[in-house]
Amino acid sequence: FCFALSPLSKIKCNVNIIYTLNKRTAFSGGLSKIKGVEKQVAALPERSSQGPRRPRREAGEPRTERMSVDQDWTAVYPTAKSFKQNAVPLPVRMGYPVKRGVPPEKKGNLELIKIPNFLHLTPVSIKKHCEALKPFCTEWPNALDSDAKCEEHFPMQVQSKDFVSAGPSLRNPKARIITLTVKLSSLNLDDHARKKMIKLSGERYNKESDTLTITTESCPLRQQNYDYALYLLTVLYHESWKTEEWEKEKTRADMEEYVWEDSPSQKNILETLLRMHAVEKCEEDGGVQKELLGRPEVEEYKDSVTKLKNEGENECNIQQYKDAVKKLLNI
Amino acid sequence: MAQMGKTKRFGLCSAAKQPSSTVSGSEEKIIIPKMKTWNAEAVLQALASTVNRDTTASNYVFQDDSYLTPRTSREFKLYYLSQESGRNAAKYFINTFPRYFQKDFAEPHIPCLMPETLELQIDEVSERALTECIQLRKVKAAVDMFDQLMQMGSPVSLDLTNDLLDLICLYGDQEPAQDVPPEQRTNDMGEKHDEIKIKKGRPQRASDFLKIVWGENNNAERIFNMMPEPNSCSYGALIRGMVKHGSIPKAFIMYNDMLNNQLTADVHTFNALISAAPYLKEKYSEKWDLIIDLLKQMAYQKVKPNVLTFNAVLKALQRCGALGRVQAFPVLNEMKALGIAPSLASYDHFLGIFYKAASQAQEHKEIIQEVLNEVSGKSFAAHDPDDVNFFMNTMKICLDTKDMEQAYKLHSLLDIGENWKLLGDSFHQSVYYGRFFNLLCMMEHVDVVLKWYRELSPSLFYPNSQRMRDLFQALDMDNRLDIIPQIWKDIKRMGHDNNTELVEEMLSLMARDKHKPEVQQSFAECALDVKTLYKQTDYGRVQLNWSASSLSSITLILLAAGRIQQAWEILMLFKVTNRVPSEYLLKQFLDCIQMNNNSEQAVALVQISASFCLPLTSHLIKRVQQEFELNEEQKNTLSQL
Repeated sequence: FCFALSPLSKIKCNVNIIYTLNKRTAFSGGLSKIKGVEKQVAALPERSSQGPRRPRREAGEPRTERMSVDQDWTAVYPTAKSFKQNAVPLPVRMGYPVKRGVPPEKKGNLELIKIPNFLHLTPVSIKKHCEALKPFCTEWPNALDSDAKCEEHFPMQVQSKDFVSAGPSLRNPKARIITLTVKLSSLNLDDHARKKMIKLSGERYNKESDTLTITTESCPLRQQNYDYALYLLTVLYHESWKTEEWEKEKTRADMEEYVWEDSPSQKNILETLLRMHAVEKCEEDGGVQKELLGRPEVEEYKDSVTKLKNEGENECNIQQYKDAVKKLLNI
Repeated sequence: MAQMGKTKRFGLCSAAKQPSSTVSGSEEKIIIPKMKTWNAEAVLQALASTVNRDTTASNYVFQDDSYLTPRTSREFKLYYLSQESGRNAAKYFINTFPRYFQKDFAEPHIPCLMPETLELQIDEVSERALTECIQLRKVKAAVDMFDQLMQMGSPVSLDLTNDLLDLICLYGDQEPAQDVPPEQRTNDMGEKHDEIKIKKGRPQRASDFLKIVWGENNNAERIFNMMPEPNSCSYGALIRGMVKHGSIPKAFIMYNDMLNNQLTADVHTFNALISAAPYLKEKYSEKWDLIIDLLKQMAYQKVKPNVLTFNAVLKALQRCGALGRVQAFPVLNEMKALGIAPSLASYDHFLGIFYKAASQAQEHKEIIQEVLNEVSGKSFAAHDPDDVNFFMNTMKICLDTKDMEQAYKLHSLLDIGENWKLLGDSFHQSVYYGRFFNLLCMMEHVDVVLKWYRELSPSLFYPNSQRMRDLFQALDMDNRLDIIPQIWKDIKRMGHDNNTELVEEMLSLMARDKHKPEVQQSFAECALDVKTLYKQTDYGRVQLNWSASSLSSITLILLAAGRIQQAWEILMLFKVTNRVPSEYLLKQFLDCIQMNNNSEQAVALVQISASFCLPLTSHLIKRVQQEFELNEEQKNTLSQL
């Protein structure tokens, strides 16, 4: 139909157009309806516009009927596949229950298909897989027969992951990540080096298990990440042994643990003791202080305060503190 | 998309460890074994070796759903071909519009998924363009390009001309068949095509419709004659083309020309000539002499034979009658002496020499045993297009000789290595399994038969109605007729329920003997199910027609199960369909009625018998009068008959 028309004839044509459009939609609607029915029909190509409608193809019986009880399940589900209701002979039900009823059955149940299933990893199949993979393994060294020995001879552990999936590409970007774990106790560090290393590693150090974990994923290849992780460990180690100029400026706020010398607690105790004993002010403050500090009660007090501050408060520590204070103040 | 992550841990020695630590008292040396290496697929192959075949599943290409798996062999073919056609359609789109499919997702690169160039790129007239035409297999365009080059006066090199001759001879001067859809094939192509008769039962193939014949004055000969100095490759191309497309005397003339020009043919040409030799001569001895002659020339010209040479010899010996049987063993020994491993086609032709017809099968029983002993345990690869016929034909021989042991040996050969690939396409497979099952039904106990039945069908093949009848016979022989209702379900599923003979045979088997009550009930259910088939309800089904035997069988089955009312309905059908009930049936019916002591029915029965004018009527009247208590009306009715 032509669109460029004079107004009058346009109106008329519009009517015609609408009419033909309607007719066309009616026709195409009808056609799609026939096609819709045909889809349900058996796969034979003959059409039947007249005559009785071809009956809808019935679904065959599921093949669970033909499965014997002692069949080889590893053959039915050899690899991870979605749940197939006609291949799994279990009457499972899943989903929100129908009103006043039970969860829907497995036939046509999308919930069962969505979730991952482990039908391919029955104990029998795992046993078979292990048997098949044994030739690829080498022997475990006999000398390493306990965890402690493994830790002792091989203190550093490197983890990497391999991924298998079905898709157009073999590569998985997560496969390049390397995680390196080592216990700091197995490294040769003195006190300063250890503290510096812990400070340098920051979040990567786990205090409870004393492990340093380095995870590298910044390089595109696994080998590169592995080299980088080793490099990081080496650098940390050597840097923590070095002492820089500016480290002398370490203040009390930078300290990792509570040190009693030069702390307010020490000053307070000294003052209290001095007042208690009303020692005459002599010039050798240093000597009196030293003598005061040398006393066993003061030592005890120092221990208990250090413990409290470092380890937190618990029954034992507070008890110790109480005893120390009592002794010191002769209560 | 299922993902599986595997965490790998391996340890390393720490470099900073103090050697003087005394954590462990023992000083054992830790020996770290050398790491094993394997190729990329080894782990997957190892895991795959743990998996067996699932006996209830259909072919892996189909969707595993009860609605969507094919149930008959016809559906199988339809679905399989529709998948193929979908793939072809997709390939067509990718190749026609390559600009939309340039992005490469696959890592590592998969070349066969990228668009291929199928159209000629180079426009000019040059040798490069001719090379391109030949590579893209465009026969007509290549010949035109060659003619243009010759007209322009630039000579084409010998190698290129040989390539062109190879192309033309391979396709017999036609375009490759799959590029030209049938509608577009023009008339002048049609003249050169002969339609050969399609053998009954075989699926029709394109190659059957279009057997290309070597035409007179075709382009290959013309170009050959234009060549100033044809070499052995050119002669070879022409000879092989002539043999392939059926013009055999010309091939031998060409070969003689070649010898006169002191050129030596290569092994492929000799193979072609040997395979053509039996069609040239008539008498057996002449055929054999020609072949020996060719082989001698081959040896003289120092051309090494290969496995295809010997296969051609053995195939030719199949057409040499008794002479073939004499010469077969020497040929095979010669083959082994030369160190050429026989392929499956060699064994196939060898067996074909001895087991030509089923009647000969009994004479040479030990030959098939020897052959199977030799091939068992070996894994074969495809060397010859005829390799795929081995399993099919050998199973036929086992069937003819009724030798179950050899059949099992043959079947176990399929499990070894890659031999399953040589079983052929779906047609070959169905024939092979059909023959195997036929043999099993004949020879084995019914338990074994049923075990194989469950294993082979429907996952590997769809038995046809003849096989189902064999199965019924096997059940009958070992008295396991109680399984018939289950088999009936399978028959319905496979679509054989429109086969009148099969259905009637099944019904008569069920009706014949007396069985236990629950078995009788199951038979009755089955019979009622069969009865529904006889009514015209389903559109498009072939309707079964009642026959006397089917009607009486169903009636007897229902009587045996004690369902008199339903049996009565069937009895009414006799009149409707103009069939006559047998005497045995009426007697049985009367016995049943007598058990219920229903005199109404007895009288009605006698009336029916009278309406058919059966001679039994008088006997029935007497029986009814004696055994039943009748009232006046009934007595009157009886006396009138």
